[in-house]
Amino acid sequence: MTSTERPHPTPAMYWKIAVVLAGLTAVEVAMYYINRSLHLAVVNTLALLVLAALKFVIVIGFYMHLRYEKAMLSRFFTAGFVLAASLYTIVLTALGVLVIRGS
Amino acid sequence: MTDIAHDAAMETAHPEHESTGIDNRKLGMWLFLSSEFLFFGALISNYLLYSHRGGFQGTYPAEVYDIPFTSVSSFVLLMSSLTMVLAHNALTRKDQNGTRTWLFATAALGAVFLGGQVFEFTEFITNEGMKLTTNPAASAFYLLTGFHGTHVAVGVIMLLSLWGISRRKGGLSEKHGLNLELVGLYWHFVDIIWIIIFTAVYLLSVPPA
Repeated sequence: MTSTERPHPTPAMYWKIAVVLAGLTAVEVAMYYINRSLHLAVVNTLALLVLAALKFVIVIGFYMHLRYEKAMLSRFFTAGFVLAASLYTIVLTALGVLVIRGS
Repeated sequence: MTDIAHDAAMETAHPEHESTGIDNRKLGMWLFLSSEFLFFGALISNYLLYSHRGGFQGTYPAEVYDIPFTSVSSFVLLMSSLTMVLAHNALTRKDQNGTRTWLFATAALGAVFLGGQVFEFTEFITNEGMKLTTNPAASAFYLLTGFHGTHVAVGVIMLLSLWGISRRKGGLSEKHGLNLELVGLYWHFVDIIWIIIFTAVYLLSVPPA
């Protein structure tokens, strides 16, 4: 990575991040089974979305090095994500799919 | 002159153009990945639309998911992001052997993920009776996960190509170093798309009442 000023993480740091990602995945799967027993409904949905968002941000920030790159790359990438998320949220809401439901 | 030294000399003689302070190829890759959100967003929305709609005959995807199996697949893909970043890190330290090892490990983990997907599809089709044309929900599921799997397969081919170049030339030059970084960005992107799919398609899906 040539365009950075901050030092990149060390291999040891990458391993620690992987442990965190594996832990978050384990919590996700645990939430799935807890929800099957306790029917947490909205709480389960929100918790799983937050966990996925955390993993998403960690991979982009540390493994894709976006937090060490020039701001322009972050803006382009974020713009694509926000555009897609907004568009499909509107479409799915209009079609009646995005209704938070308990299972 | 070694292959790596030759490549370095060619790079000095023909520098890449840039007007943004970022290599154009790298900028192009980030823009391509950004546009891929729209592509995968359409396929995920398509799945959500049909998987929540009742009234179709046949098996719905959410009725046949094997969550423990898919969790292991997700873990494998997540760990391939670790090996990918370790390959890149090894190259920045000019550790060519380490780069080759981690590149091969990443390709192998990707291949394991693909094998898991083939197994899952085979199970669904032969044992659960959920074929591509069983109903629109099943079609949407196979389209989305199959398209993601195709991305993984392309990534594995690119990784093995870099690994082969590294073996043949005795290491990766600075030019191929950028290629490795671009392939790495693509690979991590495939991983974050799976993070979304795993949650939205597998963990949050319920068959229609």
